Amino acid sequence: MSRRALSALGAALVGVLLAGLLAGCGASVTPGPGDSNTLTVMAGSEVKDLEPLLADIRAATGVTVQMAYSGTIEGAEAIANGATTDAAWFSTGNYLSLLPGAGSRVVAQQKIMLSPVVIGVKKSAADRFGWTGNPNVTWKDIQAKSADGSFRFAMTNPAASNSGLVALVGVASALSGSSDSIDTGTIDTAALKEFFKGQTLTAGSSGFLADSYVRDQDTVDGIVNYESILMSLNGSGKLHEPLELIYPKEGIVTADYPFMLLNASKRDAFDKVTAYLRTPDVQKRIMTDTLRRPAIPGVPLDPRFSTQTLIELPFPARLETIDALITAYLDVARKPASAIFVLDLSGSMAGERLDQLKAAMAALTGTDPSITGKFARFRAREQVTIITFSTDVIETREFTIDDTAPDGPDMTAIRDYVNGLRTYNSTAIYSALDAAYQQIVKEQAADPNRLSSIVLMTDGDNNDGISPDQFASDYAALPDQARAIHTYTVLFGDGSKDAMSSIAALTGGALFDATSTSLETIFKQIRGYQ
Amino acid sequence: MKTTPGRLAALGLAILLVVGVGVGIISSAGQALAPSTVALTGYIGSEKDAFFKDPRVVAALQRGGFAVSVTTAGSRQIAATDLSKADFAFPAGVPAAEKIRVDHPGSKAFVPFYTPMAIATWKPIVDLLTAAGVVHTTGDVTTLDVAAYMDLVAKNTRWKDLPGNSAYPVNKSILVTSTDVRKSNSAAMYLSLASYVANGANIVQNDAEVAKLMDRLAPLFLRQGFVASSSEEPFDDYLVQGIGKSPMVMIYESQFIQRAAAADGSITPDMVLMYPDPTIFSKHTFVGLTPNGIKLGDFLTNDPEMRSLATQYGFRTTDTPAFTKFVADHKLAVPASLINVIDPPTYETLEAMITRLEADYNGQGTPVATPSPSPS
Repeated sequence: MSRRALSALGAALVGVLLAGLLAGCGASVTPGPGDSNTLTVMAGSEVKDLEPLLADIRAATGVTVQMAYSGTIEGAEAIANGATTDAAWFSTGNYLSLLPGAGSRVVAQQKIMLSPVVIGVKKSAADRFGWTGNPNVTWKDIQAKSADGSFRFAMTNPAASNSGLVALVGVASALSGSSDSIDTGTIDTAALKEFFKGQTLTAGSSGFLADSYVRDQDTVDGIVNYESILMSLNGSGKLHEPLELIYPKEGIVTADYPFMLLNASKRDAFDKVTAYLRTPDVQKRIMTDTLRRPAIPGVPLDPRFSTQTLIELPFPARLETIDALITAYLDVARKPASAIFVLDLSGSMAGERLDQLKAAMAALTGTDPSITGKFARFRAREQVTIITFSTDVIETREFTIDDTAPDGPDMTAIRDYVNGLRTYNSTAIYSALDAAYQQIVKEQAADPNRLSSIVLMTDGDNNDGISPDQFASDYAALPDQARAIHTYTVLFGDGSKDAMSSIAALTGGALFDATSTSLETIFKQIRGYQ
Repeated sequence: MKTTPGRLAALGLAILLVVGVGVGIISSAGQALAPSTVALTGYIGSEKDAFFKDPRVVAALQRGGFAVSVTTAGSRQIAATDLSKADFAFPAGVPAAEKIRVDHPGSKAFVPFYTPMAIATWKPIVDLLTAAGVVHTTGDVTTLDVAAYMDLVAKNTRWKDLPGNSAYPVNKSILVTSTDVRKSNSAAMYLSLASYVANGANIVQNDAEVAKLMDRLAPLFLRQGFVASSSEEPFDDYLVQGIGKSPMVMIYESQFIQRAAAADGSITPDMVLMYPDPTIFSKHTFVGLTPNGIKLGDFLTNDPEMRSLATQYGFRTTDTPAFTKFVADHKLAVPASLINVIDPPTYETLEAMITRLEADYNGQGTPVATPSPSPS
C-alpha cells in the first residue's frame, strides 16, 4: 500500500517536472496540485502523443495540465481506491464508469477525439482474401481465415490495454450473431476461440504492439489497433507493404477519449481546458497531427480518413459482462501462454530482495484480490517455467495450470516452490538467458501454438557464465520462431540498466524499472505482455 | 427606540448585500451587483447549465435583481438531495419537481419553459420505417408510431430484416438510443411514454401495472448496452458519428432547434427531427423553496426577456407566437403545437419502474455465470 503511494507520488513528481518543461515555464514558482489553475490528470499511455498540446493549453487557458500515466483497468482501480487526481483521461471511459467507486467520482466529462478500433491487413493478404477495397468484410470472415490458419494477427491483451478490450467487445458482439450488447449468456466462446487462433502476437500496450508488428511484419498478416495508429504506421515508412484498413461490416467500437472531471472544485479549470480542446482549430490540429477524428461537429474529415459509414457496436452496460469476457478470452479463447521466468538467486538477492521476489511471484498465483491482480494471475492452460540462476542455471522447473483456484494444487505448487528459493553466489545472466531460449526451442517443438515470452529479473551485473557477445551470437543462430520470442527485462536492485536495455532491444522486448516501483506491480504489468 | 418595519427591512437588505457581494466575488459573472440584487443558490438539470451561464441570461437576471449560482445534477438526484440550503430546484421533469414540491411545504412550482421529447433521425431511416408502416409524415411533421415501434422491438427486429432495406442493411436491433434511465430525465420521459403505450394508452398507476409491463419495457433500455448519463452526449454522437452509431436518438426538441438555429453546419440536410406519437413534454419545472426562490420562478416565467432568451435555446414558453416566429425565422419545420401529448406517471410510479430497471442492470433476477474454462 505505502509502496503504491510512493510510486504514485513519484509519477506525480515526474508529471510536475514534465508539465513544467513542456510549458516552458519561466515563473519561479511551480504550480502545485492544489492550485485552482492546475489539473492533475491520470491518463492512458494512448494520449501521451498529445503532450505537445499541454503548453498550448496553458498559454490559452492559464491551466497547467499535469499528466501521470496508467493502464485503463489499473487506473480505474486506482481511482476506485481513492487515488487523488483531478481528472482522468483514457481512450474510453466505460470501464471506469462501470466500476463501483470510480464511476460515482465522475463529475462531468467531454469527449476530446475519436478513433475506431479496426484491423489493418497486409496488402498482399488482403488481395489474396479479396478484402482490398471490399466494404462487406465481416469479423466472421476474419474468424474463418484465422481458424483455417491462413491469417495471423497481432492484438493487445484486453486485460491490460484498451484497444484490446474494445476490440474484444466488438468481436464478441459481432460473433454472438446479434450485434447487440453482449451479456454473459451470449458470449460465444467457441467462435472466439476460432477467431483468436490467428492471434500470434500480443502486447500490454497499443503503441508497443505497433512496434512489435513492425519488427515481426514478415511473419504476421495483420494488426488490430486504433485507426490512428494503423494510419500512422502506413505513413511511417517502416512497413514493407501497406496495411489495408478493414472496418468490419457488423460494426466496430470507437474510442472517444473522454476527459473526465473527478474533483468538483476544479470545475472551472476543467471547463476551460475541455472548451479549448473542443475548439475547431484545436480539433483540426489533433486530427492532422495524431490522425484521430474530431469529436465536435463541423470539422470536415481529412481526406486520408475512410468515408465508409462506421456501424458502432454497443459496449456492455454491466461490469460483470466485461469481466466475464476478459476471463473467457484469457482462460479459453486466446492461445495458451508459455511464461518463462528467469530469476536471479545471486548472493546480493538475499534478504529483502528475495522476499520481494517471492511476494511478486506469489501474487500471480491468485492471492492478490485486486482487479489488476485478478487479471494478472496465471491462467488456465498456461505453462509457467521458472529458471533460477546464480553461478550457472540452478534449476528449470515447469508448471502447468489446469486448476486456476488460488488454493488449488497448481497454484499452490508454484507458491510452495517459490517460497523455498534461497540465494547462492555469482550472477550468470547470459547463461541463464541462453537456457531460456533453449527451453523455448524445446517447447515450440512440442507445441508450436503457444504465445511464449521470457521475463528476466536480475539485481546485478553479469559476472559469471557466457559473455553478452556469446549470447548474442547464440541468439542469432536460433530458429526464426524462437528468436521471435521477446524478453522483458526487469531492472531491480543494482542491475545494469544498459545490459537490461540491450537485451530488451535485441529480443524485441521492453525494459521494466522495478527500482522505483515495487516488483509486484512490475510483474503484474509484464503479465499484460504475456 | 422603537424598531420600525422600515428599519428592519433596511437591516435585512444590508445582510443580503453582504451575502450578495460574497457570492458575487466567486460568481462566474464577476460583475458588481446592483444595490437590490439578492444572491440565490439552487440545483438545476445539466441541460440548463449553458443557459444559466449565458452572459445575456446572467445580465437579464441581474436586471431582475438576482445573482444566481447553480449546481448541476440529474433530475432524480436533485429530488433525492438535501435542499434545505437551496433557494430553488429546477429539474427537467414534472415527476421530480412534484416530489420536491410535496417534500417542501410552502414551496411553489412554475413551468418557465418546456420542450417535447423528439427523435433525431435520418432520411434513409425515415424512408425505411415509413415503408414498414412505423413512421408517418403529415405535412412537415414526421412521427414515429411508438406502439408499432415497440412491436418491432418485442420481435427483436433488426435493421436488415426490414423489407427492401438496402439503405441501412445493419445487423443491429432496431432501437432508439436514449440516456441512462437511472440517471437522466430524458430517458425517464422515454420510459414514461413507452409505459403509457404498453399500458394500452393509459398512464401507469400502480405497482401491479408496473409489474405487468416491465418485461416489455426493459429491453428498450437494457439492449442498448452502455449509454450516456447526460442528454448532451447522445445528441453530440448523432451529430458527430452519424447514422452508423445513432440511427435514432431520443432527444429534447430544444436540442435540435438550438443547433439548427445556430446554423453552424452541424445539422445536415439528411438529418430529420421526428416526434414520437404519442409524445410527452419535458416540463422544466422550477420549484421555489424560499421567498426569493419563488420570486425568481415568477421572473423566469413571466419576464418577456427571459422568455425570449429561453426561446433562443429552443424551448417553448407560454409565449407561443415568439416560438413560432423563432422557428420560422430559422426556416425550421417544427410544429407550433403537438396533438397527441400525454402526461408522465407520478414520481412514485416512475421511481418504481426505474428501480426495477436498476435491478435488471445489476443482474438481479438474471443468472450471472462466469464461463468455466474448457480443459485442453
